Amino acid sequence: MRQTRFRILIVAAVLAGSMVAGAIRAQEDVKVNHTSLKVGDMAPDFTLLDNHWKQIHLSDYRGKKNVVLAFYVLAFTEG
Amino acid sequence: MAKLEASDAVVFGISIDSPAANNAFAEKIGVTFPLLSDMTRKVLKQYGILKMYNVQKEEYDWAQRTTFVVDKRGVIQSVEEEASAINPNNAVAVCTKLPKK
Repeated sequence: MRQTRFRILIVAAVLAGSMVAGAIRAQEDVKVNHTSLKVGDMAPDFTLLDNHWKQIHLSDYRGKKNVVLAFYVLAFTEG
Repeated sequence: MAKLEASDAVVFGISIDSPAANNAFAEKIGVTFPLLSDMTRKVLKQYGILKMYNVQKEEYDWAQRTTFVVDKRGVIQSVEEEASAINPNNAVAVCTKLPKK
């Protein structure tokens, strides 16, 4: 009897766990597949290395320059 | 490019390539603006433009081609995705219209 209850508990726990995992995955898909940023939003700041290994901070251009961010798929491709 | 510089704008290309690959690419195509490396895909995630590409039945997450224009206050003034992002005319037009100061 106690064993059966234990088994049910395990099954319930596994089910709950997989549902949570599924929900998290679904959320990630949404984040990944849609551009969430719109005109009027603040551009998220970033620090990245340029092609001479120099750090570029987006925030350094605040109040100084307009910035065009052109995201491309891969170097050496037409994409 | 001259038009963008005249409108007080700087341009950054961004991809998941390494700085070394980007430098070789910059020399090959002769770009004058910096190419930035987002090797960890952190910025692509922040900007929500990671896209799955299927190559020989394997999936890869790389950038979706997208162009953002950010003004001097840090506010996004234009978002162009996919094919329309290839032609820079709209980004140039947006920058030209932005206030100079």
